[in-house]
Amino acid sequence: MNKRHLAFLVISLVFLTGCEKGYLDDPKPTESVNASVVFESQDGVEAFMSGILRETRGQFTRTDSGGLYSMYFARVVKGNDLVLGYQWYLFDYENDNREPTYTRTTFSWEFPYYLINQINQLIKGVKNSNSLSDLEKDEFLGQAYAMRGFYYFQLAMEFQHTYSYDLSLPAPPIYNEPAIEGKAMSTLGELYDFILADLNAAVETAPASRINKSYINQNVAYAILARVHQVMGNWQEAANAASIARQGYPLNPVQYGLGFDDMNASEWIWAMPQRDDQTNYFYIAPHAFTDNINDGYGLAFWNKEFVSLFTPTDVRNTFIDLYNVGDSDLYYARASSKFTFDFSSDIPIIRSPEMLLIEIEANARLGKESEAANMLLALQQNRDPDAVASGNTGDALIEEILVERRKELYGEMGVEWFDAKRLRRGITRTGNHRVGSAANLLPDDKKFFLKIPQKEIDANDLIDDSVNTDR
Amino acid sequence: MRHYLVCQFLALCTPFILTAQQNVTVNGVIYDEFGMPLPGATVIEVGTVNGVSTDFDGNYSIEVLVGATLEYSYVGYQAQTKLADSANPINISLIPANELEEVVVVAFGTQSKQSIVGSVAVISESDIQAQPATTITQAIQGSVPGINVVNTGGIPGTNPTIRIRGVGSINASAAPLIIVDGAPFNGNLNSIAQEQVASISVLKDASSTSLYGSRGANGVIIVTTKSGTKATPTRISFSTVYGNSNMATPMHDLLEIDDYTRFFWEAYRNNELYVNQLSAVQAGVAASSNLVSALAYNPYGIDQPVDNQGNLSSAAIWNTDWKDAILNNNAYKVQNGISISGGSEKTNFYLGSNYIKEEGQVKTTYFERFATRLNIDTQVNDYIKSGLNLSYTTSKQNAPNQSGTSYSNSIQWIYTIPSYYPLYRRNVDGLIVNDPNGNPEFDYGNNNSQIVNGVRPALSNENGLGAIMNNEILKTRTYTSMNGYLKIDLLPELNFKSNVFYERATLDDFRYTHHKFGAASSVGGRVSQDRDYFTTLNAIQTLNYSNTLGAHTINADAIFESYRFEQNLLAAQGTGYLPNVRVLNGSTVPESVGGAVNEERILSAITRLSYNYDNTYFAEVSFRRDGSTKFSKDTRWGNFYSFGGSWILSNESFIDEIAWIDYLKFKFSYGELGNNRNIGFFPYLQVFDTGYNQLDNTGVISSEFVDPNLTWEKTALQNFGTEFTLFEGKLQGGIEYYSKESIDLIYDKPLALSTGNESIKTNVGAIKNYGIEFSFNSIVLKNDDLTVDLGINFSFDRNEITDLTQDEFINGTKKWKVGKSLYEFFIRESAGVDPTDGYQMWYKDVLTEDGEETGERTTTKDYSEATRYYLDKSSLPKMIGGFNANVSYKNFDLSALINFSFGSYVYDGVYASLMNGFESPGRNGHPDLKKRWQNPGDQTDVPLFLNGQNDFNATSSRFLFKNNYIRVRGLNLGYTFDEIWMEKYQIQGLRVFLQGDNLFTYQSHKGIDPEQAISGMTNYRSHQMKTISLGINVQL
Repeated sequence: MNKRHLAFLVISLVFLTGCEKGYLDDPKPTESVNASVVFESQDGVEAFMSGILRETRGQFTRTDSGGLYSMYFARVVKGNDLVLGYQWYLFDYENDNREPTYTRTTFSWEFPYYLINQINQLIKGVKNSNSLSDLEKDEFLGQAYAMRGFYYFQLAMEFQHTYSYDLSLPAPPIYNEPAIEGKAMSTLGELYDFILADLNAAVETAPASRINKSYINQNVAYAILARVHQVMGNWQEAANAASIARQGYPLNPVQYGLGFDDMNASEWIWAMPQRDDQTNYFYIAPHAFTDNINDGYGLAFWNKEFVSLFTPTDVRNTFIDLYNVGDSDLYYARASSKFTFDFSSDIPIIRSPEMLLIEIEANARLGKESEAANMLLALQQNRDPDAVASGNTGDALIEEILVERRKELYGEMGVEWFDAKRLRRGITRTGNHRVGSAANLLPDDKKFFLKIPQKEIDANDLIDDSVNTDR
Repeated sequence: MRHYLVCQFLALCTPFILTAQQNVTVNGVIYDEFGMPLPGATVIEVGTVNGVSTDFDGNYSIEVLVGATLEYSYVGYQAQTKLADSANPINISLIPANELEEVVVVAFGTQSKQSIVGSVAVISESDIQAQPATTITQAIQGSVPGINVVNTGGIPGTNPTIRIRGVGSINASAAPLIIVDGAPFNGNLNSIAQEQVASISVLKDASSTSLYGSRGANGVIIVTTKSGTKATPTRISFSTVYGNSNMATPMHDLLEIDDYTRFFWEAYRNNELYVNQLSAVQAGVAASSNLVSALAYNPYGIDQPVDNQGNLSSAAIWNTDWKDAILNNNAYKVQNGISISGGSEKTNFYLGSNYIKEEGQVKTTYFERFATRLNIDTQVNDYIKSGLNLSYTTSKQNAPNQSGTSYSNSIQWIYTIPSYYPLYRRNVDGLIVNDPNGNPEFDYGNNNSQIVNGVRPALSNENGLGAIMNNEILKTRTYTSMNGYLKIDLLPELNFKSNVFYERATLDDFRYTHHKFGAASSVGGRVSQDRDYFTTLNAIQTLNYSNTLGAHTINADAIFESYRFEQNLLAAQGTGYLPNVRVLNGSTVPESVGGAVNEERILSAITRLSYNYDNTYFAEVSFRRDGSTKFSKDTRWGNFYSFGGSWILSNESFIDEIAWIDYLKFKFSYGELGNNRNIGFFPYLQVFDTGYNQLDNTGVISSEFVDPNLTWEKTALQNFGTEFTLFEGKLQGGIEYYSKESIDLIYDKPLALSTGNESIKTNVGAIKNYGIEFSFNSIVLKNDDLTVDLGINFSFDRNEITDLTQDEFINGTKKWKVGKSLYEFFIRESAGVDPTDGYQMWYKDVLTEDGEETGERTTTKDYSEATRYYLDKSSLPKMIGGFNANVSYKNFDLSALINFSFGSYVYDGVYASLMNGFESPGRNGHPDLKKRWQNPGDQTDVPLFLNGQNDFNATSSRFLFKNNYIRVRGLNLGYTFDEIWMEKYQIQGLRVFLQGDNLFTYQSHKGIDPEQAISGMTNYRSHQMKTISLGINVQL
């Protein structure tokens, strides 16, 4: 072959290969889908909703700050009923974990906002969808508003005094749609208005049926609304919402003793499920931290004074003298078998007895004392066949209801902290605590809420260091 | 037909017939300019391919035709020719070619050193072989100025972090591009055996790297593997090295068990006394009675080992030496290599095979590799040349966690768990609990049935030794590459070369967690296994034109490159195993399964034009256009270019008169290059990630916010330099100034957490690196017996942020602000300990009522109130460099390589954790704690012990230390045997040597390996090893 012909051949080859069409357009993402896949079908939005719920129970930061369950358990250990050994949540137990650089502070801020942004994207995408029917849109929006209201409610609780303290105080910023730029602090009043608006919209359109108990239905929306009204002191609204919320979730005392690890229990309204192949391993609270038998961290114990409130015939009396200390006041004198730890244990978020107790409390505060007392006795007798009416009225009845809340909900959602905060009482450590009076909380104590995280201040132009002055 | 066959036969025999008839033998010795024999020099019969090379003593013997001309040559020396004469030996003294004729591997080819207008540093074969390391890039450390090489951690087979001329990128990769035999390398660098490498070129400036424009912004490292020489006899070389290693630098000291116990008592007492306001007596009683329950273990066997006054009243039953239990103080290293190389008249080859096994600091840690390489080149006919490089490597790396904060990290374990906690399980009385076979069991600290000696307060459900003995973290890699080319001379001045490179790297990442003990015990053990394929296909078509017309020389290239990289990942995980079953098939519950295929492509068109006049004035221009799939259609194309020039002053008549200047060159270059590496495959797409399933329902989650207009990060580099040879070749050196500014950085810009996103990847801001580099080499002494050759190189590098879109970012321990370095610490400043109450204090600004700074400072004990300051301390060194010496005396030779780093600071978080002052139980302490505050009035910088939440050891200047070091990285003492010995055993060469790696280290901050992350943060990393080995090299 003539060399010059060869030259032309290769030169044209060089330039021809350069013209290969679409060489740079071929590669496409394989591990993800785009917005049109998500928002143009019911299945797509449902997948996004599922993803958000999966993140609710994820492993966000570390063992004591993993998901919603760890927000709850950090509240549990602040109270007087649980005695914490040396393990995770140590400084929450000491009521000394609120500085701007601490993990708890950052987590309790970032985690709800992470989910709120996801929910806002879902709301925006669903509203703009061209393929979903109005009914489908409404049902999805109802679920989304319920979740958004729920997380703003958590932020309101964690980062400011309670509702009745001072509505003009600065509260976490409000985002009603996805935003790249950080917003300024709101006020507590604005925040509660926003929460109520979300939840009132949610109860209108949230669906009646759902895939399983980890999803939002109308009952869940009402249950969240009941809690918010309870904190706000809107007793009639609280009673109404709680009453609707618990419809279809009857009490079942037998299931109380089964380890609190199955969301199919009839009392469970909203839950975080787990499965062997979808587990959060040792993160899940309270199970991994309170089960002293199975292979978790264990090392959570119960105040002997609290244990003494239970009669032997009460199904909720799950307490045992695990280390055979007898009457000794060692902090590990009483363990509990309420929660069974396993990689597939489900975790309750809201149960119907709490709704019942909200209704009872509301009735009592609305002057319907006998109705309240009767309902309370019915609950007590459901738990303990030998229970008898106390005959309490007035403040004594309210106190009895509050004690019943502790007895019913211990370990679950931080009922002591929740009640002490909303009712502007303190928490006084008594009995065989490992850390006693040093961890006491006074009424309206600043330790009931956290400082604003430094990372937020550093990256948000509208919030500066002064936000933590006097916090 | 028969006629044809005969012709063939005759043609084949012709050379033999000819040599058989009229040959003479010529002998002689080839010397260098100092009269020292030159081994490996080449003697060729001109006009033929007949040739030999000299032996260890410079001897040669060649059979040639009578009347032939012989050409004597050696790399770096001027060739000489002589007429063949068999009567007398022809001894030749070669004279160094102007070192400028030296050929250097550069982008897409080679250039003579003198024609280079950019900044290229070469690490030659002899430099590389003087310090046999497991990973090739270690050879760069201290050998070339301006390059920061940091070996983080002591796991053998781990590649160092390399930064060429500062850190030019934040979130995109700041690592140099690696090119092996002309093609971008995507495998693990540890798959290349150092023994098989001929040279490493480091390209630092724009003009030298611009042909890799799209990915050359952070410099380029070109690795060239060995090849044979045409027309040389085949040589076989064997080498074997055996060595023994232990830690090169000591770890931090730790508290003794009795001190630990007494100090914890004090911390408990202090909390009761000062925080909970008990009386001194009550506080002491409380501390004594609660000590054992707080620590949960009792090595003393009595209820209250410490009395109310803080005195220890008994001796410990156990005293665990975790360091001794976990570390391997007698690690070994073995390396065996064999290579065969040679060439016929048209074909040359190199075949090398190398085995290495090296153990690390932590028990069970090792790296084992078998690397084979075959390189062949052949001249097909007078205008076609072709070659193929094949390599196959397989390696195993067993590497238990030895950095980071995983419970199973052995180093963290040593630094966290005090000797107070037992290695083996103990019952409540402190006696060892044996398993049914009568053997002690590791104590995992999770025995809920025992309130004493049952549950460890720190790192429970794990055991530092158990984690490495019972579990397995094994990485198995295979690496295959094929790199072939075909080169056609179309015209004498024009050639075409097509180069295709295929590479496949596989990684099998196997992890087994024990079925009975530790994290996976509750699910019967866990196996997780990833098997990932990384495939690269790269094709380069080059058209080269070069011509010399009188004093004008022109060289032009047109290059077209397409690059395709694919990763194919597969992962599976399952639990529930029987004892001794460690394969996924044995699992009862399949926990997860995953996989993905991702692909990246780049398409590039490149031109280069260079010109020189009379080998004195040089100019070079290049342009490259790249399209990358990592950016959207609108932003994917980037244009990159460079230009440069140089002037060899010493060729001018006015310099000729200056006797002491042998060679002098000035050069400059400027260019703009790009970076798209390490930013994911589709960083511009807002997508929904799969994998967030809720029970049986598919789940997706929105990715973080993205910038759809994300595009190439660009870097503008300029370089000014001089190279010189002075005093009749006695002193050589170079000085270069560089400045490189990266603009449109690809950066994860922090967002307010309340937006639900931590950051957004976007093109933000600019940073500048600038510095000056020096390198000097001198032959100090050279005579018949003794040669002393010294070299030093060092650089001063600075890093500065030149543009940000917002005033400042806080990034961990650094704050980024225009005018500051990326790596300048911005943390709270310790104000010491208040002598009245023993609390740690920090400084804070005094503000006016309007919140303005007054310029005054006061102290505070509230950490969150304390102000963060720039402390004028950066984690980047102010000066780095190396010193090397080569001394030979008679048959002995000694080479030493020392590298140093001055002016950087390290934040020692490990030391900070050891100074936690017993804030929470069960965590270890440093003996410096003995200096703690005890009584009002005590002047000390260690706060009181307090068993309650406090910020005493929170991040502050208290734990920021100067981190200067000098390390004798390689020391090699060899003895080459005389010819007499070799003749006796019929071998060509024999050398025995003693090699020391990391023999001595001077460091200003002790307790860590001085080489930590670029960011200057320690992270419970294992240390590099000090190795002493004995080796032998035989040539047949």
